[in-house]
Amino acid sequence: MSTVVSPAPLRGVLSGLETIGRAALLAVSIVRILPRPRMYLRSFINQAYLMGIRSLPLVLLMAFLGGAVTSQQTGAQFTGALPLWVIGSVVAASVITELGPVLTAIVLVGRIGASIAAEIASMKVTEQIDALYAMGRDPVVYLVVPRVLAGVVVLPPLVVLADAMGVFSGWGIGLLVVDGLTSADFVYGMRFYFRPWALIFSVLKAGAFGFAITFLACFIGLEGRGGAEGVGRTTTAAVVATTIAIMVLDVALVPVLKMY
Amino acid sequence: MIEFRDLHKSLGGEAILRGIDLVVQEGETLVLLGPSGAGKSVLLKHAIGLLRPDRGDVLVDGVSIARASAAELKRVRRRVGYVFQNAALFDSLTIAENLRLAQDDDRELRDVEECRAEAKVLLERVNLDPSVLDMYPPQLSGGMRKRVGVARAIASHPRYLLWDEPTTGLDPVNAETIDALIKELAAELGVTSIVVTHDLESAFQVGDRIALLYEGRIHICAPPEEVFTSTDPVVQRFVRRGRVSVPAAV
Ligand SMILES: Nc1ncnc2c1ncn2[C@@H]1O[C@H](COP(=O)(O)OP(=O)(O)OP(=O)(O)O)[C@@H](O)[C@H]1O
Ligand SMILES: [Mg+2]
Repeated sequence: MSTVVSPAPLRGVLSGLETIGRAALLAVSIVRILPRPRMYLRSFINQAYLMGIRSLPLVLLMAFLGGAVTSQQTGAQFTGALPLWVIGSVVAASVITELGPVLTAIVLVGRIGASIAAEIASMKVTEQIDALYAMGRDPVVYLVVPRVLAGVVVLPPLVVLADAMGVFSGWGIGLLVVDGLTSADFVYGMRFYFRPWALIFSVLKAGAFGFAITFLACFIGLEGRGGAEGVGRTTTAAVVATTIAIMVLDVALVPVLKMY
Repeated sequence: MIEFRDLHKSLGGEAILRGIDLVVQEGETLVLLGPSGAGKSVLLKHAIGLLRPDRGDVLVDGVSIARASAAELKRVRRRVGYVFQNAALFDSLTIAENLRLAQDDDRELRDVEECRAEAKVLLERVNLDPSVLDMYPPQLSGGMRKRVGVARAIASHPRYLLWDEPTTGLDPVNAETIDALIKELAAELGVTSIVVTHDLESAFQVGDRIALLYEGRIHICAPPEEVFTSTDPVVQRFVRRGRVSVPAAV
């Protein structure tokens, strides 16, 4: 124990820095384990399957609604001011670069991030993590790497499906509710906007979100303490932190879209 | 040999261990007594680096746990079996899979059937029916889980065993089974053990020496007869009753 009495704000900063340091160490140990797939392959496949299957219906539903809202709102706002084919451009642009990845990430935060944090935190407070160490096993190999890798691998295809669903629902709903819009208009608008880079950007964003969600959920779960009540608090903290992280990343990644 | 050298540890702002000096000899069974909250579990956790000392060190076969690299720690841990106070079984794995994690090494994956056969023998040793193999920990009673925890700790054929209250919460027959197992492992395989217990009967049965952890230090460490006949008032308060029930030191 340090005998130097430090003022409260300084202690806060120090413990914040310590937390960041521990997160960095966790990231480093993940990277060091990656080249040895034999140690985590089975568990990874299992996690990836569960993540994909468990989130797909909700992801598609959210994307459907996102696309539907975009085409209706664009229709309502721009009718008369701009040609109707613009709806196709706006739907494709907002779904592929923004709504698809973000809505999918939000679903994953709730479905996957929360359950990872709760599971790992309860393992922590019931000494199951200690038991892994005691057996000479590394929790990063057994718990963290399979989940983080699954997040990074599963989000991109989920987002591509969400993008497709969002664009189709925007198209279909647009035809239904926007007076005078034709499929030819919509497709023209979509093609007018579409660049392959947008789709690549969408997939890159998905990978980044997948990492952020699973990594933060694992890290916050491992930091968990204080009995069953602590597990609840830890889970809430993980959901809040990952949601914020998603939005911050979303903003931070905008320049990448402008690269090409 | 396990040596605790001037071990200090504070947790939650409180000095729990305040200079532990204790040597557990090869093949010896050392019983650790002490009031609830004295830091017995904390002390055991230091022996395999689950907690890092603030000051002092623990040496296992001469390896400094405080300064051990991750790889060294892992080697030490493979030689030490740890019975957790609350069993700490993996809830999402069956009993067979729980045992398997201890039977296997990361690298040499062993045959499933061979592990299963061995697991049945392990369960027999702790007086459990092989039918529990395919159950999950939450389906077992507390005492059953505790015994699975013992089976898991001995599954890797460790040279050292750290037992955190292995008989607490067990019925007398099963408590005796565990006491007999501790003695067997010491006699037949020369296993070195530290046994934390509140059960004086058991302490007398299995202990070559008994140590009393009190106010952060080892108050006494001596053969059972000596401890039970000691005139030291603190020791007397401990051994007067059938069970240790002295409140935590202020
Ligand atoms: N991770 C921790 N963080 C903060 N305090 C802790 C932690 N682990 C243990 N303590 C505290 O250390 C003290 C000793 O705990 P320990 O579990 O070692 O007691 P014990 O001697 O094993 O008691 P019992 O006989 O009841 O099991 C307790 O006051 C406990 O609250
Ligand atoms: Mg204890």
